Amino acid sequence: MATLEVKDLHVEITDDEQQKSREILKGVNLTMNTGEIHAIMGPNGTGKSTLSQTIMGQPAYHVTQGDILLNGESIIEMPVDERARKGLFLGMQYPAEIQGVTNAEFLRAAMNARRADDDQISVMAFLKELDKNLALLNMSESMTERYLNEGFSGGEKKRNEILQLLMIKPSFALLDEIDSGLDIDALQVVSKGVNSMRGDNFGSLIITHYQRLLNYIVPDVVHVMMGGKIVKTGGAELAQMLESEGYAGLRDDLDLDVKLVDED
Amino acid sequence: MEAIADYKQLKTSVAAAASEYGEPEWLVERRVAAIDQMATLALPKANRFSIRDWPLTPTDQPLISSSDQSLTADVQMEAEHVQLVQVGSTTVMVNLPTELADQGVILMDLMTAIKKQPELVQQYLMTVIKSDEDRLTSYHEAFLNAGALLYVPKGVTIKQPIEINTVQDSTREQPLVAHVLIIAEDNSHFSVTHHLTTKGDVANVANVLVEIQARADSEVHYSAFDELGANTMAYMNRRATIARNAKVDWAIGMMNDGKTFGDFDSDLVGEGAKSDAKVITVTTKEQNVCINTRVTNRGKKTTGNIVQRGVIMEKSNLIFNGIGHIIHGASGAHAEQENRVLMMSNDAHGDANPILLIDENDVLAGHAASVGQIDEKQMYYLMSRGIDKAQAQRLVIRGFLSTVIGAIPAKPVRDRLTNTIERKLEDGIEL
Ligand SMILES: Nc1ncnc2c1ncn2[C@@H]1O[C@H](COP(=O)(O)OP(=O)(O)OP(=O)(O)O)[C@@H](O)[C@H]1O
Ligand SMILES: [Mg+2]
Repeated sequence: MATLEVKDLHVEITDDEQQKSREILKGVNLTMNTGEIHAIMGPNGTGKSTLSQTIMGQPAYHVTQGDILLNGESIIEMPVDERARKGLFLGMQYPAEIQGVTNAEFLRAAMNARRADDDQISVMAFLKELDKNLALLNMSESMTERYLNEGFSGGEKKRNEILQLLMIKPSFALLDEIDSGLDIDALQVVSKGVNSMRGDNFGSLIITHYQRLLNYIVPDVVHVMMGGKIVKTGGAELAQMLESEGYAGLRDDLDLDVKLVDED
Repeated sequence: MEAIADYKQLKTSVAAAASEYGEPEWLVERRVAAIDQMATLALPKANRFSIRDWPLTPTDQPLISSSDQSLTADVQMEAEHVQLVQVGSTTVMVNLPTELADQGVILMDLMTAIKKQPELVQQYLMTVIKSDEDRLTSYHEAFLNAGALLYVPKGVTIKQPIEINTVQDSTREQPLVAHVLIIAEDNSHFSVTHHLTTKGDVANVANVLVEIQARADSEVHYSAFDELGANTMAYMNRRATIARNAKVDWAIGMMNDGKTFGDFDSDLVGEGAKSDAKVITVTTKEQNVCINTRVTNRGKKTTGNIVQRGVIMEKSNLIFNGIGHIIHGASGAHAEQENRVLMMSNDAHGDANPILLIDENDVLAGHAASVGQIDEKQMYYLMSRGIDKAQAQRLVIRGFLSTVIGAIPAKPVRDRLTNTIERKLEDGIEL
């Protein structure tokens, strides 16, 4: 079993134009184990993507206080590639496009990156695994010969993130709005992909705005984030409650002093 | 410019050497006339770059000498290839399948062609690039000592790529003055892959000219992999004259390790002529490189594209000039260009200069240029999948350069280009 712990995490971002720092995360606490699916919901601009990017190690986000531990070891000083090789994966809200590098070539490089030099995956084994996962995600083989994310539609990019997840098999997958921009069929396919990973050696932190995704990938734990903190944690029913009450209701119930984006 | 003590004496010795090789009178005369031109012509000029101090016209070395054939040992030669292999002035292999020879295709080393196809050579040699353009073109005609003739008759289509391997013999002092003359008659279609390498570490000059006469409705795809050595100072001039509805595509991987000055030109003469020029380069160490890729739209409805991409490392300097010239009367012309330089070191210097000279109103012209660092978002994405920084950089850079790699039809050359790029990146990237 692997564990990911976020302890009293404070994160700042520096605005390049104004040369000013702003605190986005204001003391986040979260513990998850493999075998569990956690969901994070929360209003726009509250820091959900910031949390996932900081766990992954995106250099723009500065940890000013607190710690992130993977199996008890602090990772906040580690570069992003090392965190990935230790078992973290981030399905991004906006994946980068890279011309001239095929999807297949990239997938192989990523898989080999976490294997020893004398234990690189064979072409046969790679193709077999690739075919299996393409079939699972209803993806056409031609997608793998295209350049990485280049000219992919929004939905294709999301599917491609899940394909990477299935190929790389991390311990923990942070999935940031993996459902946004997906049509209903694609939502089911993507959910099927994530569910196929479920098991003792896999945990996931799913960021979403919609209860609908959580009907397909039923979470063990749901967190609500507001104003840079986790303000409430519960079971799958918490997501359903939010759907009917909205964030303002929850905020007022909890008597929080948080401003929501679409309020004046 | 080096002072040449005695032009008269030089003319006498060049004429004597050429005659000794049994060259026809017309060529000896042209060599001698070219020496006269050398005395008065200036070096070629480029925007933001000067080769004033480059000793590119040595005259104190033999005109022609023979080279050891074993220097081509690592050139892949296959019986079924259409191929010509030359080391220095020595021809090692010419392979032209009989069915192509029967159709009238000619592939010969230039010195043989001068004897066996004198009318053809005399008619076309130095007509696309003229000897009196500058000091280096006149030097070329005067000291020419290697090269090839490729002639493809009317209506002939050749499926396999035609490979020309030029190996510079730098086991001793001897300038390589090589000329590839390509004539594409009406409605012919073919592709050429030209691979240049250096054997030996002696400091030498390479002066390489490629002329393409693309007649009406012909289609020529010329790809080059320049891999001249670190001690070679190179002047490379490639140019096509493109007639009505003909098309010439260039894919040039300029991977020389030494100082290089390159002029790559497409002259769109006939109505509807097209050219597509793609150039990539990786510069390392203290290398100094200038590449001028030019398209001149003369005919109506001509289309020219330029893409130049360079990666600069260590203390190298790279100047990309993209020159789009639309002549008055070339209505409906279309000219696009993109020049990009990726800086991998703060000590490197690079420029990407689009130069547009437009003398006609009814045209479509566009350009893009940039000098910048590797994209951080791309790096983050790759690294977030566990790929380390060095490999992530190599992937992004290879992607950046992929336009030319993919355009080389001969697979061994393509693979070797990929490997050469990888080696340069591995040696040159500072982490
Ligand atoms: N790289 C950045 N540069 C500047 N500001 C940023 C950056 N990343 C996040 N922020 C700011 O931090 C705050 C939190 O953003 P974040 O993307 O984490 O929100 P989120 O909860 O994911 O919102 P959404 O639901 O809209 O995706 C926002 O005000 C945002 O503008
Ligand atoms: Mg977000």
